[in-house]
Amino acid sequence: MSDKNHNDDIELEALFANARAHPPVVPHEMMARVIADAKTMQPSGTGPRWRNWFAAFGGLPALGGLVTATCVGFWMGVAPPDIVPDLAAAVMGVETTANPEYEGSVINGYGWDIGEG
Amino acid sequence: MDMSQSNHPTEASDEAALLRRYAEGDPVAARLLAGQMTPRVFGHAMRMLGNHAEAEDVTQEAMMRLWRIAPDWREGDAKVSTWLYRVTANLCTDRLRKRGTMGLDEVAEPEDPQMSAEQNMQQTARVDALQKALNTLPDRQRQAVVLRHIDGLANPEIAAILEVGVEAVESLTARGKRALKQALEEKRDALGFSDE
Repeated sequence: MSDKNHNDDIELEALFANARAHPPVVPHEMMARVIADAKTMQPSGTGPRWRNWFAAFGGLPALGGLVTATCVGFWMGVAPPDIVPDLAAAVMGVETTANPEYEGSVINGYGWDIGEG
Repeated sequence: MDMSQSNHPTEASDEAALLRRYAEGDPVAARLLAGQMTPRVFGHAMRMLGNHAEAEDVTQEAMMRLWRIAPDWREGDAKVSTWLYRVTANLCTDRLRKRGTMGLDEVAEPEDPQMSAEQNMQQTARVDALQKALNTLPDRQRQAVVLRHIDGLANPEIAAILEVGVEAVESLTARGKRALKQALEEKRDALGFSDE
């Protein structure tokens, strides 16, 4: 390397060093805007595990469907429509009739009477 | 020149941890991230664009993209600052392309509010001269030179930012430095180098 090239390198490095030592100062107003953006965009304080679980579950639409299905199921349990027993019998291939012998029995629930014919 | 600082092994994980805290709603993390990243982004944008207003716009947009991606950031994918430099570099490139054929004389003079009248005039002249010389370089050369010699990044990180190989980075910086020397040649006396 010639002396001139060597001097040019030294001078250029001096300019770079000067630039590194005096970086452009960030205006306060811009920093305030950046921080305001950060706060606006920041997710709420919920942890990532909850978010991951929620996302894996399918997000808001899936949760809405689950809530609807739960409400409908609860309602059918409390006040079942008249068609429900018939539908169950058709699906299960059996017919149920009232049998006075079983009245008052402790096992007339849970379908035991249906299963045993 | 100390190039090791930006490559400290814990820095990448610290940045990622801070971004994760931000995504989890930690208000302190938002301020810390803004304080750490904004000066780097703004400094790079200023060197690339040589215009205060445009550099501010680019900085705000780049930081906005960081806030947006935070909840989906996966640790180990990339270094946060590398990703942010890449976004900034691309935004600057877009700006420079939009300028199109605008001559250098039409580009706003470099401004630096830090430089006051009381400060050394030669220092101001050197900062301005370097910026004007940088403005004469092709975009990619300017990016490579600024990232390497002013932002102080290592070649592999610059390669990741510019999405080229390390050899291409070396070539860009070498050509950029040669062009800078030529651009500064006639100003050596004014910059006080002839007496050194």
